[in-house]
Amino acid sequence: MKLLKPTWVNHNGKPIFSVDIHPDGTKFATGGQGQDSGKVVIWNMSPVLQEDDEKDENIPKMLCQMDNHLACVNCVRWSNSGMYLASGGDDKLIMVWKRATYIGPSTVFGSSGKLANVEQWRCVSILRSHSGDVMDVAWSPHDAWLASCSVDNTVVIWNAVKFPEILATLRGHSGLVKGLTWDPVGKYIASQADDRSLKVWRTLDWQLETSITKPFDECGGTTHVLRLSWSPDGHYLVSAHAMNNSGPTAQIIEREGWKTNMDFVGHRKAVTVVKFNPKIFKKKQKNGSSAKPSCPYCCCAVGSKDRSLSVWLTCLKRPLVVIHELFDKSIMDISWTLNGLGILVCSMDGSVAFLDFSQDELGDPLSEEEKSRIHQSTYGKSLAIMTEAQLSTAVIENPEMLKYQRRQQQQQLDHKSASARETSSATSVAGVVNGESLEDIRKNLLKKQVETRTADGRRRITPLCIAQLDTGVNATSTPAASSPSVLTTPSKIEPMKAFDSRFTERSKATPGAPALTSVTPTTVERLKEQNLVKDLRPRDLLESSSDSDEKVPVAKPSSLSKRKLELEVETVEKKKKGRPRKESRLMPVSLSVQSPAALTAEKDTVCLSVPAPALKLPMPGPQRAFTLQVSSDPSMYIEVENEVTAVGGVKLSRLKCNREGKEWETVLTSRILTAAGSCDVVCVACEKRMLSVFSACGRRLLPPILLPSPISTLHCTGSYVMALTAAATLSVWDVHRQVVVVKEESLHSILAGSDMTVSQILLTQHGIPVMNLSDGKAYCFNPSLSTWNLVSDKQDSLAQCADFRSSLPPQDAMLCSGPLAIVQGRASTSGRQAARLFSVPHVVQQETTLAYLENQVAAALTLQSSHEYRHWLLLYARYLVNEGSPEEGAVEGATASHWAESPFSAPLHRVSGAARYPEGQVACLGLPWLQQGQGHTLAADNAEDHLSPRQATEGRGDTGRRWAIPCQHQPSFLGRLLLFPGPVAPSEGGTSASHSSLPPGPLCRAGAGALPCCPGVSEALPGLPSPARSQGGR
Amino acid sequence: MAKVSVLNVAVLENPSPFHSPFRFEISFECSEALAEDLEWKIIYVGSAESEEFDQILDSVLVGPVPAGRHMFIFQADAPNPSLIPETDAVGVTVVLITCTYHGQEFIRVGYYVNNEYPNPELRENPPLKPDFSQLQRNILASNPRVTRFHINWDNNTDSLEAVENQDPALGCGLPLSCAPIKGLGLPGCIPGLLPENSMDCI
Repeated sequence: MKLLKPTWVNHNGKPIFSVDIHPDGTKFATGGQGQDSGKVVIWNMSPVLQEDDEKDENIPKMLCQMDNHLACVNCVRWSNSGMYLASGGDDKLIMVWKRATYIGPSTVFGSSGKLANVEQWRCVSILRSHSGDVMDVAWSPHDAWLASCSVDNTVVIWNAVKFPEILATLRGHSGLVKGLTWDPVGKYIASQADDRSLKVWRTLDWQLETSITKPFDECGGTTHVLRLSWSPDGHYLVSAHAMNNSGPTAQIIEREGWKTNMDFVGHRKAVTVVKFNPKIFKKKQKNGSSAKPSCPYCCCAVGSKDRSLSVWLTCLKRPLVVIHELFDKSIMDISWTLNGLGILVCSMDGSVAFLDFSQDELGDPLSEEEKSRIHQSTYGKSLAIMTEAQLSTAVIENPEMLKYQRRQQQQQLDHKSASARETSSATSVAGVVNGESLEDIRKNLLKKQVETRTADGRRRITPLCIAQLDTGVNATSTPAASSPSVLTTPSKIEPMKAFDSRFTERSKATPGAPALTSVTPTTVERLKEQNLVKDLRPRDLLESSSDSDEKVPVAKPSSLSKRKLELEVETVEKKKKGRPRKESRLMPVSLSVQSPAALTAEKDTVCLSVPAPALKLPMPGPQRAFTLQVSSDPSMYIEVENEVTAVGGVKLSRLKCNREGKEWETVLTSRILTAAGSCDVVCVACEKRMLSVFSACGRRLLPPILLPSPISTLHCTGSYVMALTAAATLSVWDVHRQVVVVKEESLHSILAGSDMTVSQILLTQHGIPVMNLSDGKAYCFNPSLSTWNLVSDKQDSLAQCADFRSSLPPQDAMLCSGPLAIVQGRASTSGRQAARLFSVPHVVQQETTLAYLENQVAAALTLQSSHEYRHWLLLYARYLVNEGSPEEGAVEGATASHWAESPFSAPLHRVSGAARYPEGQVACLGLPWLQQGQGHTLAADNAEDHLSPRQATEGRGDTGRRWAIPCQHQPSFLGRLLLFPGPVAPSEGGTSASHSSLPPGPLCRAGAGALPCCPGVSEALPGLPSPARSQGGR
Repeated sequence: MAKVSVLNVAVLENPSPFHSPFRFEISFECSEALAEDLEWKIIYVGSAESEEFDQILDSVLVGPVPAGRHMFIFQADAPNPSLIPETDAVGVTVVLITCTYHGQEFIRVGYYVNNEYPNPELRENPPLKPDFSQLQRNILASNPRVTRFHINWDNNTDSLEAVENQDPALGCGLPLSCAPIKGLGLPGCIPGLLPENSMDCI
């Protein structure tokens, strides 16, 4: 063992409360007290590990420091992916940091030290909920959740995929909560508090599993932290400060029955921190000794207030090593390197120590695969225990997992490209915007800068955007928005193509770029390699096992090695059959097809001699058991256990559904492959292509449905059930009304021709299926027209150029949610930036914006999402009003023909409102499925306030509702407008030539006086604001 | 945390004659789009003794501000000499750049400014009545004093109260009128007491 105290790791003498090593081992973070704020510092690891690097002045030691916390930082923790860093402090806040890749080194402005930040870490989320100091934070395995605990006696569980959503607040402690640890299996989270208790909470329902108090009864005094830890095999939980016979100990709590029979004894003062080595070890095999496998063991480091550190192996009765007087003050935190051979320890005295072990001392670490095998054999399979290695080959059970898998792959890609990028000079990237160097920009800034006067005569400068931020918080939903660099975003815009190839390369690999269109050579290669390995290994095994392949998974479902064999056999078999190779090889997802379930399932198709489909979607394989959360409010989850009981030789599978504590269960005769549920129905797809549907209370609604081919994905929303089969056909049924909504519609038309996969599936509450494809396009199926309609395209250049920011009602911006928002992700800001940077002519931008908004309106309409339809329609109207020039002028007479071409005239026949331009042209809009009332308030409430007397014609409907229509003067706007509050009196009377092409029916008519009433404009709209936007009273 | 952080302020055309305009190139980073404009101000401290002699040289709105890094040049006319006490015209004073959002100041950047006669003769024997046309303004650009204040970034009075309630530190976040030299974080270091060499390094 080697021991090092790198003196350069310090907070200028201020205490360091927390330390954490990045999962990739290249850097570590410290948190503590700063000058007059909290401080988080990210350090380079290599100078700690290598003396040469420490001496080399070209290798930076400090990578970044963040002074944003207002008070002392108590905890810093990297996410398991390494993408994020979470920090919690005395300012009651948790900040989540992400590395900004778009810019090179910079200094903290005004900082005295002139220290360059080599890396830029930006705060992407601030989590506010705690009413007291945050003492500890912890990422769940695989980063689904982030937990934080505080002196406000609570533990808060945050949705790490969707900050700042709070999933649960765990109340129960009656003292300051000072430590947290997740069960590596993901089933529990444990917290330790000053109230002399350690509590274990279930992640399934966030309720208390157990509270352990006995070992803490004698605990007096306080420690600053109580960082407890769970062993990597999940068997043991080790507490911080506990007492045994008046001696301070670290209590070992067994998972089985939460027994407290053992403890780590020897420290003279309270134990502040316990940290398990992430690896599980086995005895080092000595050459020549028998290969008898020894029991795997864990390794644990214990730090104490007595300033000493002890390292224990669970197979030894005595500590492996004890280091006394390592620091001048109490040990505050410990972090292991991911390879398990090094630890960093930090202390209140403001220094850090590094311990380096050799494998001889600790033993042979088990591989991640072996580790997860231990997990699986002990705890069964769940998403939470998937390791990354496994994930790429894991069986996809639900879209959640699919999404997750994709995210993982994306991140890997991202990491790769990021590391590749590192070698290229980051500064040159930062220094160039749109082909112009920063220097050039600066020279001309004053000339370029747009300065206007506000209504009250004040100067207003529009700042020049020099770089965009990658707000990749919801990376799953907004690839377009999350491109880390302004350089890469508008890849469609011409100048970019002529740019340095390095950047184009980069844009492909960023998380922002749509996944599969951007498969880089390296990924392809990687995938090939994986396949190659699979292909080669099983050759010799093939003969012996291929004949019995069908029986094996049934007979020995738990035999892992056997399964593995199966898996390989399957690969080879497929190849023999000469399946289109490219199809399945290039899709990362399709690796999952190679599972035992696929084998049996495939047998089905083969037996029926269904011609092998060109398209093949991944199929879920059978598991021993799985759980599925249907909804959190009301809390509803489904538990499936396959082959639980055997009745007369037949094995039964059990389906259990728990809805707010009420439970029902039923049994099925074949194994359940996948399940889905909504508040109305629960459905499960079994082997032999059976689909069973139950009501939410457990009544079987239908005899099993026989699917045309094995299931790939199952979905429920309301009473709609959607089944996507492996042969890429889609069906949607309304099980309550017992009608088919979509009948075995093939996905060929949208998937054909390229290596695409379905990345996300959505079923709206109106039973409209939406497929998000890996190329960034999303289609919905329109049952009435039997067509696939493109509702979203991530690479849509319209979306990138559209700028309707000025028309966004500020409070409304975030409120619009619905299927369209889910499919398209949060409104991206990239386009606006792009447009600005590339100085698109205003007219072009107007046109693209209008086209984009019309697309959005039409898409919302097709998705039957009334809120979104209203939102986009309003935006569209506002945009027209804002952009329309206020000069006096006549409306051109071309209205009617424009109108006929406009996207609204054709499919919409039931017109709920109409409007008239001053010269007598009529615009109208149909709202076929919106309720009348909704259509009205739309204009009455929101649109009017932006209309000015000069711009608007207005009148009063026969219901007394006021309506207003802006009249537009630019020909391009003609016929586009369409707002109408009150129902216009249907007039069968005189029609004029100008609107002869309008759809017939209860429309409206032109000509003054045809509308119910038309008082003078200025009379009726006295108080409308002027078209110039008010500047909020400044 | 602040939605806007100032990355750099570059002092342009420095040193320059007293009557030439101030020109600062300000770059800042915004973490999420702001609903309202930022208001920037340049304040010239006429006399260290009293706030009375502070001159707001200019204030400007900056917006719209989407997420990202931005820069702009803030130019303001030179201070009005008639408002500066004669005794304070020559020597060290301070210019402040402040930025407010929703009327709340969240950053204050202070620079020491040395006004002196470049002409050695005048320097030796300064005229009784300061000759502003001969004065040269030299901003100690290398040493900005940055004070950041915690403000409520959300346009919501409820949440402001909430923040205030739970954050006792907030109260001390706005001590805007203490010390002879406001906001420079060096209350004890009035211009007259500045060590000579601190200006030499300009």
